[in-house]
Amino acid sequence: MSTNLSINLKRASKVYHEGENIVGVVVVESSGDVRHEGLALLMEGSVNLQLSTKNVGIFEAFSNSIKPITLISTSIELAPPGKIPVGVTEIPFEMPLRARQAISPGYPGLLETYHGVFVNIMYTLKCSMKRSFLNKPLNAGCQFFVQYKQQDPAPLKPVRCEITPATIRAASSAGARAAIPQFQVYAEIDSTVCPLDKPLTGKIRVDECSVPIKSIELQLVRVETCGCAEGYSRDATEIQNIQVGAGDVCRARDVPLYMVLPRLFTCPTTTTHNFKIEFELNIAVIFEDDYLVTENFPILLLRSR
Amino acid sequence: MPMYYEWTSRKKSVLKKHEYPSFDVASHPLKVNVINVVKDSTSKILMENLNKWSSAFEEVDPLLRFEQMKQEEENSQTELQVDDVTNYKKSWNTRRSLILNKYTTGEKLSIVSSFLPGGEKLSSFSALFRQVSNLNEKVKHRLEQLDDFDKGSVRKTMGLSQQEFVTKINMLNDEIKKAWDSEQRVKAFKIGIQCSKLLSDVNVMQFYPSKFVLITDILDTFGVLVFDRLKGKSYKQNEVKDIKDIDPKSIPESAKETCQNWLFKMASIRELLPRLYMEMSLLKCYVFISKDEIKPAIARLTTMIRGIGNPLVALYLRLYLCRVASKLLGKESEEFFYSNLKEFLEEYQQIFHPMMKRKFETQLLTLDKYLNLYVPAVDWLLHGTLNSNKCKDTLLDELLQKCEDMENNELLLYCVVNAFDSTSITKKSSKILELVQKSAEKMVLVSDILTSLGEHLCSADNHRQLASEALIQTWWKLATIIKSTNHFLQVLEPWLQFACTHLSTQHVNIILRGTIRYMIKCGKPADEFSGNFHFVIKRMLKFIPDVEELFLMDAFMPLVELVQTSNARTMMAKTVLSIFFSRYTSVQIEDHIIISSLMRLCCILHDSINAVTVEDESKVCAELINKFVQAVTYEDDLEQQLNFYVECRSAFIKLDAVLIALVHAVNALATRAGARQGRWLQRACAAYCFVTVPSLHCALARAHLYLLSGQVALLNNCIGQAEANFKALVGLIPDIPEFLLEDGQKKPTNIKVGGILSDFLSTMLVMPDNVDSNCKAYILSGFIKMIERIHWKKTDPLYYNTLLHILDVLSAMTQENYAYHIDSVLSNDKLYGSEDEFLEAVDKHATNICQELLVVLKMLGDTKETKKQYNLALAMFWRVVTRGDLSRSAMLSLAANLWMLSQKLQDPNNNKMAKTMLAALASDNSPASQTLLKKLTENSTKQS
Repeated sequence: MSTNLSINLKRASKVYHEGENIVGVVVVESSGDVRHEGLALLMEGSVNLQLSTKNVGIFEAFSNSIKPITLISTSIELAPPGKIPVGVTEIPFEMPLRARQAISPGYPGLLETYHGVFVNIMYTLKCSMKRSFLNKPLNAGCQFFVQYKQQDPAPLKPVRCEITPATIRAASSAGARAAIPQFQVYAEIDSTVCPLDKPLTGKIRVDECSVPIKSIELQLVRVETCGCAEGYSRDATEIQNIQVGAGDVCRARDVPLYMVLPRLFTCPTTTTHNFKIEFELNIAVIFEDDYLVTENFPILLLRSR
Repeated sequence: MPMYYEWTSRKKSVLKKHEYPSFDVASHPLKVNVINVVKDSTSKILMENLNKWSSAFEEVDPLLRFEQMKQEEENSQTELQVDDVTNYKKSWNTRRSLILNKYTTGEKLSIVSSFLPGGEKLSSFSALFRQVSNLNEKVKHRLEQLDDFDKGSVRKTMGLSQQEFVTKINMLNDEIKKAWDSEQRVKAFKIGIQCSKLLSDVNVMQFYPSKFVLITDILDTFGVLVFDRLKGKSYKQNEVKDIKDIDPKSIPESAKETCQNWLFKMASIRELLPRLYMEMSLLKCYVFISKDEIKPAIARLTTMIRGIGNPLVALYLRLYLCRVASKLLGKESEEFFYSNLKEFLEEYQQIFHPMMKRKFETQLLTLDKYLNLYVPAVDWLLHGTLNSNKCKDTLLDELLQKCEDMENNELLLYCVVNAFDSTSITKKSSKILELVQKSAEKMVLVSDILTSLGEHLCSADNHRQLASEALIQTWWKLATIIKSTNHFLQVLEPWLQFACTHLSTQHVNIILRGTIRYMIKCGKPADEFSGNFHFVIKRMLKFIPDVEELFLMDAFMPLVELVQTSNARTMMAKTVLSIFFSRYTSVQIEDHIIISSLMRLCCILHDSINAVTVEDESKVCAELINKFVQAVTYEDDLEQQLNFYVECRSAFIKLDAVLIALVHAVNALATRAGARQGRWLQRACAAYCFVTVPSLHCALARAHLYLLSGQVALLNNCIGQAEANFKALVGLIPDIPEFLLEDGQKKPTNIKVGGILSDFLSTMLVMPDNVDSNCKAYILSGFIKMIERIHWKKTDPLYYNTLLHILDVLSAMTQENYAYHIDSVLSNDKLYGSEDEFLEAVDKHATNICQELLVVLKMLGDTKETKKQYNLALAMFWRVVTRGDLSRSAMLSLAANLWMLSQKLQDPNNNKMAKTMLAALASDNSPASQTLLKKLTENSTKQS
């Protein structure tokens, strides 16, 4: 006799906003009657933080891993102990998605789902069926995603910049490289305040370049800061790298910058008591001899229209 | 049964004059109707004809029905073409196959893929996927995997031939489908990415357009797979939905979500080129989310292509974008064609970037070959642009202005000239020539531009231009500096047509002379270019308004004979002759120059025939030469005409068909000659025929010609010649084979022989005897002897029918006045005046023949061929009744016996023929026939 337990959410996208009800069914599928000691559904949301080994030593990274921050934890009983008949049984449920009421200091409220390297914000539904002793309880899980409600669009904040050998030198005064090719690149980002659902746009123009260009790339970087009493770390890692120019592009022509922000790996720029999630954008021009010129723009991601 | 009956022919009193109804007609009813069929649509004419003939029937003629169906199909096709989407699809499909045919390579290709043989890595790869079960991990994993293909498994296969490459690509195509069907959709997606990555490789450039076609086919497959799955998720199976019918509002959330997922996946592809290609292949999936997004997406992609540095790759990317757009939007996509064209023009100089130059030069490509790689794509962009733009002239002006302003304008100029319609181009032709002239020195596609321009000028035929002379002059200046002879000839082809249709003969002649000079100057034998050369000549022949004029140009024949190898010369002669005759409108050729030129060509044709020439080949040659022979005329100079035929005979001795035609022609000449020219010409003609005929191979043809020539000689009162011909014919009869090989089939000759023989026999009636010989009915008795000598099967209808016909002639010969005469010839009736000796001789022959027939009758009975026996008996009976003298008892009893025999075999009441005969007999009130009738009825009553 085998019994299967699964959770099906009504909403295909599994994306919910605070205040909404999570509606779905728990499906019990079995080849015989199932006796059980109660069927419970648990909704959990938490922030997992991890210190990078780079900033604090390996030892501390392991020992001092920061305790997860619970964002939400509610449970309901779906069925009292009893018997579930043979076949497929669907038990509907409805759970409100609401932030915890008792506010402890530093409680950030319901945060958006986010998958990062050092910070993970995850929401799950867990269903468990307790069974008579000797039998292990049956468990099923299902992730769902939380998004903020959309705000009104923020005013655009365009940035422009010119990248020339001069600007590079100013940035890296070390001047390790002997001969920097002559070039002049103009870049423009339509707004550094970006709605998450909209692509990031802008343009780049190579006005002049004495050597052939190999590639022009757009790099999206997350900057995660984990800090608490025991330690503090700030790390920038790449989320995705998108090529906008392949090969020696035509001079003096606007090449559009266009990047769709990936889901799950991005979230609105967040700052809380314990951690921060920020994003940056790098524009990189790679010359044929793999010489790389980058320009960095911090960007603010928002859940807005 | 007494087996001997003496035959006595009945003398008929004066023949009854029948009054036949008659009326005056304007033309001879047997006159040949010459119909000039204007070739517009054969099927239409056919339809009309069929309609005409079948209108009387209520049922539709089956042939007509098929034709109607075909036409309806054509009509429905034209109706479909109104739909722009299919229109674009069609025009792409033609281009597609053109590209595949044109851009091929012998170079070794390489392919980079992780999905092609080298299986072990592959399987571990997919196993890796199955291990990952946690959804979250899986998603993450997939996203990360999209870019780097698990480095170890990517392998580069090098040194592939083109064919192998195509096979590999097809394998990938199958692989995509397989992966998709086995739920490994991400794998399918990855194959798509890898394929599009292959398009960034321009290492074997001349294959690039074909590679593009092959790979975009795979991308199309992938796009369709995704689209169909989304459609399946959104609608029930049979709810077939066109893209237009899909309403984003009615799409279920899950399908939308899947679609979004695909788009996110696509958007995270690291490299630009595969990302663009994949987005294009998934473009139509945007309909599931929002229709309004498609157009902005296309516009965005249009600008994003700017990021591609390699101009060739970028241009083909634009081509794919426009193709996808046209499939999706139809007419509305045309704005994108234009915007892409503009983008291309902005980047135009990238094509001539030193880096590209280095690239194609290391691949040993010439500049013109390199530029040709761009043509299909630019052409496609222009194709769509032209469809949208109402005012073509302004667009053309604009583009030509661009050409003028830019360097290296040849590619654009060529494509523009190629793509625009003829009327617009013709208007601007002088401007275009000017542009070419300006930079002719360093331009590489000159010949292509000129060819294309020439074609336009030709097709805009009713556009009469005053400046055509100036145009030609400019063109000629440009053409003569073309270095490659092949290109020169290629350019010459359309321009010569233009010159032919628009300029005077003198001008054309000058061009031809120039061509000869060029060909000689180029230093290579013309044979190397015989193919192109052939096209040029063909074109000129087809389009010169008056073909005769060609031969009057002094440069034409030398030009035709510029090629030296016999093969090429034969081909040329054949083409010239066949086109000449197909276009030559009047029936006769009189001009001596033309005659001698044609004679020369015919000789070339004839000389090419040898022992190994296939039959069909010589048939075609013979047909052409025959046309020539039949068309030549020297008007009233008959002697000259005969001389011509003599010359032809010696020139075309290898071709029987020509000889036959010559004999016919000479016979016609002989009848035309008349008394006015003196009899020597007629004799000469007769002699010509008599001498020519024996050299033919086919006995049947010889027999026929002997007969004809004899008849003509007889007609001209050349008794001696006629006799000689007939004698030869009689001597020839045993040689005629029973079967002839015709079109590879054995065909019996007996029907034809029967025809010839009866024709011959009826001629015998008017043929006077040679007074010098003692024998009466000299040739006829010779013939009878011959018949006896030949061992024909006696039961063969040919044999006994011939005997019956001889019997007919013999009876006719006994008459006082023969049924017909030739005016100038004294026939035997006049010659002998019903002399007894003559009549006796004739009757003796008749008795013998009659005897022989009875033998045949018996043999037929022995071999149980009742039907034949019955028919023969009746036929004989009828001859006895109508031709025999029934007052003689022998004849009477013969008739009675024959009738009895026939009655025994079959009831005469059942046979119409027998009944009619009896009725005819009854209506004849001569006493002899009445006696016979009585006897017959007596017999029949006795029997019953």
